[in-house]
Amino acid sequence: MVSPVLLIAVPLGLAFAIPLFALFWKGAAKYIPLAALAFNLVVSVLLLPKVLENPVIVFIGGWQPPFCINLVAGPVGVLFSAIIALVGLLVSVYALDYIKEGPTEKYHMLYLLLLTGATGVVLTGDIFNLFVFFEILCISSYALVAYLRDKAGIESAVKYLIQGAVGSSLLLIGIGLLYGLFGTLNMADIAQNIKSVSPISIFVPMVLIVTGLGVEAAIFPLNAWLPDAHSSAPSSISAILSGIAIEVGLYAVVRVVFTIFGAQSFLLFLALLGILTLLVGEMCAFSQNNIKRMLAYSSIGQIGLILFALAIGTSYGVTGGLFQMVSHTLGKALLFLAAGYMIYQAGSMEISALEGMGRKMPLTCLAFTIGAFSLVGLPPFIGFPSKFLIVRAALATKEIYFCVLIGLALLATVIEGAYFFRVVQVIYFKGVKGNPEVNPERREAPAAALIPMFIFVVLIVVVGIYPKLVTDVLNSAATEFLNRLDYIRSVLG
Amino acid sequence: MSFLNNYIYYIGAFGLILIGLYIILVKHNLIKVIIGLGILDTGVNLFLISVGYITKGTAPIFSKPGIDSEHMVDPVPQALVLTAIVIGVAVLALALSLAIRLYQHYGTLNLRKIREQRW
Repeated sequence: MVSPVLLIAVPLGLAFAIPLFALFWKGAAKYIPLAALAFNLVVSVLLLPKVLENPVIVFIGGWQPPFCINLVAGPVGVLFSAIIALVGLLVSVYALDYIKEGPTEKYHMLYLLLLTGATGVVLTGDIFNLFVFFEILCISSYALVAYLRDKAGIESAVKYLIQGAVGSSLLLIGIGLLYGLFGTLNMADIAQNIKSVSPISIFVPMVLIVTGLGVEAAIFPLNAWLPDAHSSAPSSISAILSGIAIEVGLYAVVRVVFTIFGAQSFLLFLALLGILTLLVGEMCAFSQNNIKRMLAYSSIGQIGLILFALAIGTSYGVTGGLFQMVSHTLGKALLFLAAGYMIYQAGSMEISALEGMGRKMPLTCLAFTIGAFSLVGLPPFIGFPSKFLIVRAALATKEIYFCVLIGLALLATVIEGAYFFRVVQVIYFKGVKGNPEVNPERREAPAAALIPMFIFVVLIVVVGIYPKLVTDVLNSAATEFLNRLDYIRSVLG
Repeated sequence: MSFLNNYIYYIGAFGLILIGLYIILVKHNLIKVIIGLGILDTGVNLFLISVGYITKGTAPIFSKPGIDSEHMVDPVPQALVLTAIVIGVAVLALALSLAIRLYQHYGTLNLRKIREQRW
């Protein structure tokens, strides 16, 4: 029986061992994240059938909860850690060839630390540990955004750092207030006693914590850092930031609101915020000429849609939100990876510079197109069942409020379709007529980039055609979020 | 006066937090903003300590016989603050090194003049 502790301990240990290995053989650095994440993926997949029956609770230090620090490997935690490991593994294969310049061993170390932080956030059952893992994630992503050391990267890293640091201070104040009220940091213990104090005194820490986490999750008024940071980081890091970091932030928001506070009345407000985030993100994405900024704004929009789906608060809604998280993670990671080499070939991030790419790099462009179609929600791909589930969940509530909001969400999907189809059109159909060159020379991305991209493509198509593969896991994950009494009972015994 | 006596640490902590936020929001110079972050961090740490503080309490170590648990401060917030200080140091160090790079690129630390990235 493998312990979930290894999911955090092994990558953390290996991350700090990377500089040591690099002393002896500089090339070793890039293979260590590969090994660590493959290990995490195997352990997560092995744990998955077991935690679907009963969550695995790990006590650290030999004390019983609520006195110890504990890890809660429930369906949600293991599902997320498996996704983090899968996407991290594929992106680290991509980075084998993509990251050539600069202090590469530091890149790989920070990359592994970022993923360790993300895994820690989803597995921990202690709210201060959540803060610590969150800071590991944040600090390594600030440094990775500035990895290229160019003007844009440094400037966006500074912006990201200032906003992120203020956000985490607010989070820490909220945690301090909760500790003052309850004298415990264990999430299940706080959740058990939350009804014993007046709602007014709960409100302030909840707002502080949601605001602090909302900065990292890029919920609407707090997302000014995201388009800069995601567009000026190296493409492999953009894929991780868009595919994992903001999802983990959103996970933390949802965990706090659903499990700790059990705040049903707060959900309507979150749904409204989600739709606002969606509309703002998609409309800004529509007006972009820079492809990476467009993808970054599209991430904001998707986060809004996921937040809306989770805030519906029914079993369908939460399942749909989690499904949309999975589909956004796969789709957006694929888009950023493909865009990375398209930008590399075109020498510019402008969309107009990508004219005729479809003939120069057909495979990369095919991957990009599939990712774009999946995010828009076209049928054979994973984006279709997830969006369908969200629409169905919103209509099933039979409340006029959610029906109006889902109408706005569908409007945003139309905008999303418009700008993704524009890019696909530029790639395949622009600049072909006036070009006398019938067979332009093909300069495809290297195999180390194409293999992970096509694994993403296969996953997107297979899960899109046969969504039953994941719905069981997603259903029990949704049950864990909605059924807080079971969560409390499984931790406190 | 007893109000002040009881709540002086909270007043100080939230004073520091507000001062820090004010500096971050208002100042144009990156170094001043980083100083604001430092003050904000200190305020949060002071707040955490005062959550667990008991007036005239001692450290929770059984070195002297005859101290009962009512006169000991809560050790958990102190452990939290140690961690928070370390995290704060990491953030400040990263912020300062980014400030050096920013100055090399732009020749200025005035955040109002550095505006290449926009909506």
